[in-house]
Amino acid sequence: MNLIRVELHKMLPYRTVWAILAIFVVLMLLILYAGSEITINGQELGEQMYDLPKFWQILAYIASFFNMLFGVLLIVLVTDEYTFRTLRQQVIDGMSRAELVLAKFYVVLGLGAFATVFLLVLGLYFGLLHGQNHSANAVFGQIDHLSYYYVQTVGYMTLAMLFGFLIRKSGLAIVAFIAYTIVVEPIIHFRLPDSVDKFMPVKALKSLTPMPGQEVLDQLTTPSEALPLPWAVLISLVYIGLFWFLSYFTLKLRDL
Amino acid sequence: MQITLSACQENNSFILYFVAGFSNLLYNKHPKPVAVILQTEQLNKRYGGIQAVDRLSLQVEQGSIYGLLGPNGSGKTTTLGMVLDVIRPTSGSFAWFGQPVSRTTKHRIGALLETPNFYPYLTARRNLEIAAEIKGVDHKRIAQVLHLVGLSQRSHTTFKGFSLGMKQRLALAATLLNDPEVLVLDEPTNGLDPEGIAEVRELILQIAAQGKTIILASHLLDEVEKVCTHVAVLQKGMLRAEGRVDTILSAKDQFIISARNLPQVLEVLKQLPFVAAYQPEGEAVNLTLNEGYGSADVNKAMFEAGVVLQQLTLRRKSLEAQFLEIIKSQA
Repeated sequence: MNLIRVELHKMLPYRTVWAILAIFVVLMLLILYAGSEITINGQELGEQMYDLPKFWQILAYIASFFNMLFGVLLIVLVTDEYTFRTLRQQVIDGMSRAELVLAKFYVVLGLGAFATVFLLVLGLYFGLLHGQNHSANAVFGQIDHLSYYYVQTVGYMTLAMLFGFLIRKSGLAIVAFIAYTIVVEPIIHFRLPDSVDKFMPVKALKSLTPMPGQEVLDQLTTPSEALPLPWAVLISLVYIGLFWFLSYFTLKLRDL
Repeated sequence: MQITLSACQENNSFILYFVAGFSNLLYNKHPKPVAVILQTEQLNKRYGGIQAVDRLSLQVEQGSIYGLLGPNGSGKTTTLGMVLDVIRPTSGSFAWFGQPVSRTTKHRIGALLETPNFYPYLTARRNLEIAAEIKGVDHKRIAQVLHLVGLSQRSHTTFKGFSLGMKQRLALAATLLNDPEVLVLDEPTNGLDPEGIAEVRELILQIAAQGKTIILASHLLDEVEKVCTHVAVLQKGMLRAEGRVDTILSAKDQFIISARNLPQVLEVLKQLPFVAAYQPEGEAVNLTLNEGYGSADVNKAMFEAGVVLQQLTLRRKSLEAQFLEIIKSQA
């Protein structure tokens, strides 16, 4: 694939990419090590936490904190192309606008795959080393949480890509992306009934990695309504398609 | 005396017309089709209230070095941006090689718009690798074009470490990667030192000598005159003049003549049909001739009138003056 080769040429020597991936890797390891030290009621959480198959969901949930980080990376990669005017040069040299968006979408898929494979390695390492149950049933029982995580991180990055193409300036795009995902949409959630806001993009994406033990919490408080997983996947895929199309539309309508 | 001279003049021009007509005949008998490389039809671009390009219709023929000349902000870059598919025209159309713009037409063109556009953190070589991928060109070409622009030694330096002149040359190298039939260059000597300017112009002429078409935007009259065969003069997005450089830019040169008997000179000048204008200036007279006449005609006429000239010098009018004249006369 020519587009993938072009993107790899740009990314592999780029320090920012490696720095952000390194931050993700280091912080994930740190959280997992620290997590086992947490003591509740005089009992270390450690051994329980790494128990497969539950561990997959915990991993996906922890990793979901770093979606913002990947979003920022995508915004940097997209807005760079405006700053360096390379988007313009690539169109002059023969790429279509659809290919520009497609190339960045491949980057999204690739980074998502990297993160997911990293989670798989983490899960197997910690699960097999510290977990109790090593039967195949236990190890691969709930591994589908990784695929939900994949859809989620791809969703966040595609949204970030849209912000990048739309706003063009990296600083502004990053602020707008973070503001939308953690301030604006949650505020809208307050004003809307759960039955409606569960379909909103950030909430639908979030419901892909439910918090472990949410069921227990729901019994104590009024449960907040979220999409069941298969539905969340479907809605998320629709949003990913929509963000992709809006990015393309932005390029189509604007001068480069 | 004067009458005979005029008649002679007319005879001359008759012969000229005849020759011209004859060569036209020859030309038509063996038509050498001149392919149109780029054609624009009533191209328009509006930015809010500003008309950046105004109903621009141009035609660039194969093998020409076509200069787009105009002051800053006259719409040169906008025009090139539109035909290079990065700026959407408000209205109007254009065609490359008689076709709408597509990947195929783009791969026959090498273009540099405004600034060199590269990834600052990548080396010259890696930047060209990306361009080669997009253009579908063998990576072997990279070393060749780097050598061509004299950057072989610096191929492993990152782009941000380049001087402006080196950046410009790298951009030129990128345009040459796909061995294009047409080169589109926007201010290619911008920011270069005199040596670099001379090198780039030499390179352009070399490339043109291979039968390639070059479209060159510039605000430097001198550059257009030295390099181009054809020119389109733009002002405020409008086409002010278009044609061969020698007819548009160098048409009316000025002559300075002086003789012992100045009043007689003036008397003769008054009656010469091919003198467009004259003006005494101290001991000498400045005069402009009609198209197609030169110093020999003046000398001959003066001699036949019994005036011996002490001085007959050709003074090329400053290009800036010519430019202002073109803009004024068309406005």
